[in-house]
Amino acid sequence: MPSRKIIIDTDPGVDDAMAIFFALRSPELDVIGLTTIFGNVETELATTNALRLLEIAERIDIPVAHGAERPLVGPFKGSVPFVHGDDGQGNVHLPLPTNQRIHTTAVQFIIDQIMAAPGEITLVPIGPLTNIAQALRREPRIATHVKEVVLMGGNAFCPGNASPAAEANILNDPEAADTVFGAPWPVTMVGLDVTHKVNMTPEHLARYSQINNPMAQHIARIVPFYRQYFETDFSGMRGIYVHDSSAIAYLIDPTLFRVERWPLRVETRGISRGKTWPAVSNRETSAHFVPWHNRPLVNVCVEVDSARLTALELSRMA
Amino acid sequence: MTRKMIIDTDTASDDAVAIMMALQTPDIEVEAITIVWGNMPLEQGSNNARYTVELCGKNVPVYEGAAKPLMRETYYAYFFHGPDGMGGMNYRAKTPPAPGHAVDVLIETINANPGIILVTLGPMTNVALAVSKAPEIVKNVSRCVVMGGAACTVGNVTPAAEYNIWCDPEAARICFRSGLPIEMVGWELCRGEANLIAEEMRYCKEVINTPLAHFAIDCNKSAIEANMNWLGDPGLGLPDPVAMAIAIDPTICTRKSKHYVEVECDGTYTRGMTVVDQCNVAPYDTANVAMWQPLVTKGDPHITVCWEIDNKRWKDLLYQTMRP
Repeated sequence: MPSRKIIIDTDPGVDDAMAIFFALRSPELDVIGLTTIFGNVETELATTNALRLLEIAERIDIPVAHGAERPLVGPFKGSVPFVHGDDGQGNVHLPLPTNQRIHTTAVQFIIDQIMAAPGEITLVPIGPLTNIAQALRREPRIATHVKEVVLMGGNAFCPGNASPAAEANILNDPEAADTVFGAPWPVTMVGLDVTHKVNMTPEHLARYSQINNPMAQHIARIVPFYRQYFETDFSGMRGIYVHDSSAIAYLIDPTLFRVERWPLRVETRGISRGKTWPAVSNRETSAHFVPWHNRPLVNVCVEVDSARLTALELSRMA
Repeated sequence: MTRKMIIDTDTASDDAVAIMMALQTPDIEVEAITIVWGNMPLEQGSNNARYTVELCGKNVPVYEGAAKPLMRETYYAYFFHGPDGMGGMNYRAKTPPAPGHAVDVLIETINANPGIILVTLGPMTNVALAVSKAPEIVKNVSRCVVMGGAACTVGNVTPAAEYNIWCDPEAARICFRSGLPIEMVGWELCRGEANLIAEEMRYCKEVINTPLAHFAIDCNKSAIEANMNWLGDPGLGLPDPVAMAIAIDPTICTRKSKHYVEVECDGTYTRGMTVVDQCNVAPYDTANVAMWQPLVTKGDPHITVCWEIDNKRWKDLLYQTMRP
């Protein structure tokens, strides 16, 4: 089977690094580019980190395109150094990369790649959805030319992690997310409903340091800082939740997940700004359901085989 | 020792069953029933509550209160409970409502009975007005059991919100912020396995076979159909009785925890959503500092959110109260 071409839109980020390496080491996937976005870090640092990660992976053949620096509406509320470190990589402070970003913007790169290979490219956004929404606005035909969109973000039937109501990626650009979930293309949402059920324990994480390749070694270096955040902020938690890698796992083996199909809206106002809301029953007669009418059905991941997922990721790194 | 209770209700069919449960529990003394707009216009809800009290052979006063929400328009639930709120059974009460306004009665009754249990089964308009008029009453309430909201999951009246909270979100916000020791019994606990299935309804009518058992099922005729056709949830959902079961026996709730909870009043799609800070991130929600910070600085979370119930035990308690 030929490998599937993917573009990862990313704000690296400790778990982004894990996801990117997981993808690079999976023969089912062919990473044709990284596009960057603000979120875990500012976009400038995201681009630097993307280049750094590709150097570690010895894959500087893969282009890195610099993306949007702020959301569609309003300012970027700021990165989260207490989660990912000041450098977005667990404060290991890698040297600056020697390879360069391409001159094309992330939005143009996404459009060009999708339009040049209709039906072949899968978009894998694991950060805020600003680049994706802008690409849709500039070239709406990408919706019919893309293979599919598999994103990490959102929370359908569970609480948020960046605010009480909302998940971090969606909260960073709710207007963009509502655009992406409303476009006529196949979208799969790998959100907190599943990622808060995928737990890598300290014992599991310790095995990365025993794997003798540069990618596993990098993960082993950056993960302790990230782990400290989870163990401080979630009472009783040991290890980390697996956010971004869960989207990669879905691409490799969708049978790891149970999926439900619902139309989604993203709240953009109030204290629940950024909450992704499925309409789980389509009450045609109720005026309160009108905003969900004519919205495409989104694949919402609701259950996951956590043990099999974490084992898959570890096996790919070895 | 008996425990005192006051019930605030927009009496339609499931409220009626909840009232019956309280009146039929020997160690619960219901001091008053206060009526709020909601499922039904005030007069209809009042009639339904009085009929229920009469059927139980009790002499508990029923007071009428707020006829409208604080800021929104009224939104009655004829589509769910039938034209009379009682499945079209058209029960007529013989007794009149008691003189006095529900809001004043709430204040007076709570102040006269420190430690009283307050149970709210409808929109929170009356209770919001009471705690606004007399904020000190909250310290005399030992438990405030609320049927309302949905903790981190879907609603019923909209995808995001449960009916009681959605109807008057500003009132709910006032109550959640008032210091009342709220135990939130969300709609998600009151469907699925919590529903009475056909066999269980037959058990009520054919085996228990008391006037109260027939009443409890008959008055819910419309609700049974609406549950299936409108919510796609087979069986009879009884949200208010589930909340009442927890009010009567707190151990029926098998998993609970305390959280900051805010009610969405500003969302485009999420009016009335109960935002439960389950991951304890309220202090980091930089976009909504004005909303969360007053709660955080006031101290530890004080809203008890119920997450799981013992369905067998809630149903057993229901059956028990149908017997003489």
